[in-house]
Amino acid sequence: MNNRLKVLRAERGWSQQDLATRLEVSRQSVNAIETGRYDPSLPLAFRIADLFGMAIEDIFQRD
Amino acid sequence: MTSWLYIKEQEIAAMASPPKNPAYLRYAKRMLPLSVLYVAAIALATRLVPDNAPASATTVGLALLPGFAVLGWIWAMGRLLVELQDEYLRMLEVRKFLVATGVTLAVCSVWGILELFSPFVPRMPVFLVFPLWALGLFVGVVVNRFSQGGGQGL
Repeated sequence: MNNRLKVLRAERGWSQQDLATRLEVSRQSVNAIETGRYDPSLPLAFRIADLFGMAIEDIFQRD
Repeated sequence: MTSWLYIKEQEIAAMASPPKNPAYLRYAKRMLPLSVLYVAAIALATRLVPDNAPASATTVGLALLPGFAVLGWIWAMGRLLVELQDEYLRMLEVRKFLVATGVTLAVCSVWGILELFSPFVPRMPVFLVFPLWALGLFVGVVVNRFSQGGGQGL
């Protein structure tokens, strides 16, 4: 699954740690999601979408 | 280009940083005294129970002490999975446990079959199964490293 997390984060000038703190996850988690090594659960995907004020499908796309 | 380098630097930093999750700290605080208890109980049983001692309540009790510490380890590992709120870190731990279980099953099964059919293969004491599983955790760490790159875990 592809995602735009890295771009969205960079647009807001947030570090991975900033985003991790906002999502209440580890920086490793953010890194793993951004690099496509880990697909988040639906609850975490909703938290990400809510944080950016977007729909899940606008952040995560099929390969 | 600068932002790309910035992001790359953050990726590398994320890979290098040790886990600071409170669940890991609680895990370490539980495992340390249990490990001390295990070593002390083994030393005590070795010192007080001779090899040819008849079974009695005292000898059985002394022999069971290290077993309680092992039960404590298993409980602490279970609590780690329950208390890890971060789903990615929890997944890494579960993967380590699965790899360790696979390694243990493989070694014990192959060794057991060798014991059955070869008189020259020494019998493996059953108490070694848990230390073997713990060694398998290190294999799990390596597997996580290669498959997940930045995967940390303990």
